[in-house]
Amino acid sequence: MQNEMLENLWILAAGFAGTLLILPFIMRRMRAAGIVGVDAHKRDRPVVPEMGGISVLIGLAVSASAAYILYPTEISLIASFLFTALIAGAIGILDDLKTLSARVKPLLTLLACAPILILRTYNPHPLLPIIGELRLTIVYPLAIPLVIAVTSNGVNMMDPFNGTMSGTCTITVLAMIVSAFILGRGDGLLFSVCLIGPLLAFYYFNRYPSRVFSGDVGSLSIGAALGAIAIIGRLELVAAVAFMPQIMNAFYGLSSMGRLYERHEVSRPTTILDDGRLMASADPKAPITLARVILARGPLRENEAVRVFFMLSLISGILAIFTAYLMTVTT
Amino acid sequence: MIRRILDFVAILIFVWTVLIIGLWIIASYIVPFQLPGESNAVLAGTLKVVFSAILALIWLWTWREIVRRLFWRTIRKAGSGAGQI
Repeated sequence: MQNEMLENLWILAAGFAGTLLILPFIMRRMRAAGIVGVDAHKRDRPVVPEMGGISVLIGLAVSASAAYILYPTEISLIASFLFTALIAGAIGILDDLKTLSARVKPLLTLLACAPILILRTYNPHPLLPIIGELRLTIVYPLAIPLVIAVTSNGVNMMDPFNGTMSGTCTITVLAMIVSAFILGRGDGLLFSVCLIGPLLAFYYFNRYPSRVFSGDVGSLSIGAALGAIAIIGRLELVAAVAFMPQIMNAFYGLSSMGRLYERHEVSRPTTILDDGRLMASADPKAPITLARVILARGPLRENEAVRVFFMLSLISGILAIFTAYLMTVTT
Repeated sequence: MIRRILDFVAILIFVWTVLIIGLWIIASYIVPFQLPGESNAVLAGTLKVVFSAILALIWLWTWREIVRRLFWRTIRKAGSGAGQI
């Protein structure tokens, strides 16, 4: 037990160091190449390097390699986890460099689950509280592409303010670590630890005020990695509960627009006041995103709005941990 | 700030509770559902999927309606620029 914890700490440290060391280099390279974005929620509209999410992929590769060194028998699980994130990351790079349409991107992310299906690293018997194990031999593999597409695009849409995506995902993964521990899901714990190191290092640079943006390469790969943890680590329902703010955000946006959309195709859901505070947009054609609902009660500073996002993720995380506890006592 | 968070806490707890109850209904009533006669197995399976999908859609629709109403009511109450549509 103590050995296992120490090994997990090594994996976490490896992923953290991998991202932390490479990110400043990526930031310089992106700025030099002109791959930058404007921070639209600041009065002075600073220019920030994009595609910092590549560092998360590199950190993930480092932590997965460390996991392989420590647990060589888990090679197929580690490979399917890492390659799912890498495929989603490659789709993200394509989207960052050559914007994909609102329909093509979700369709492409369906393919990211290929390593899980090819290596058959799933168990079609999800555990639910009160009910116990379900036998979904046919439905389960059919649902896997959908799960990866939902998680990757859900995280991708949850990036309205500085640090929101990386911060909320960090809280989600922390909840999954505690839940995996409660449920005794060693694989779920291992892969959550693989992801938390790169996420923490990236959050350090991405937090308010952001020094780097993740780009779609970061958000899609982190989302796909979360989905892979849910499937490979057998934490399906726990992940769904911890992921509720992301589901909420994507669902509100899509249902209010009635179609898939790209951010630049629709009116902005938030506007900026003269004093720098953010408020919900008055435009009836703008999507009802989580950010817009949060700001409906009145204007907030960006860092205050980010804190509300974190509180929502924290509450969902607590509900996820409670769900895991319910699973252990009721099944 | 607290009111803002409390709105969402209420929604999250409601959505979570309905999710657990829905799963219980599916496992207790829909999954064991059988039609008499062996040839009806495919029809019974199809009905199970349809019933489960209807429950899931009702869950999503309720969730969406709660947030939609909360959003527009809050905008009206706030009487801010955001409400002038």
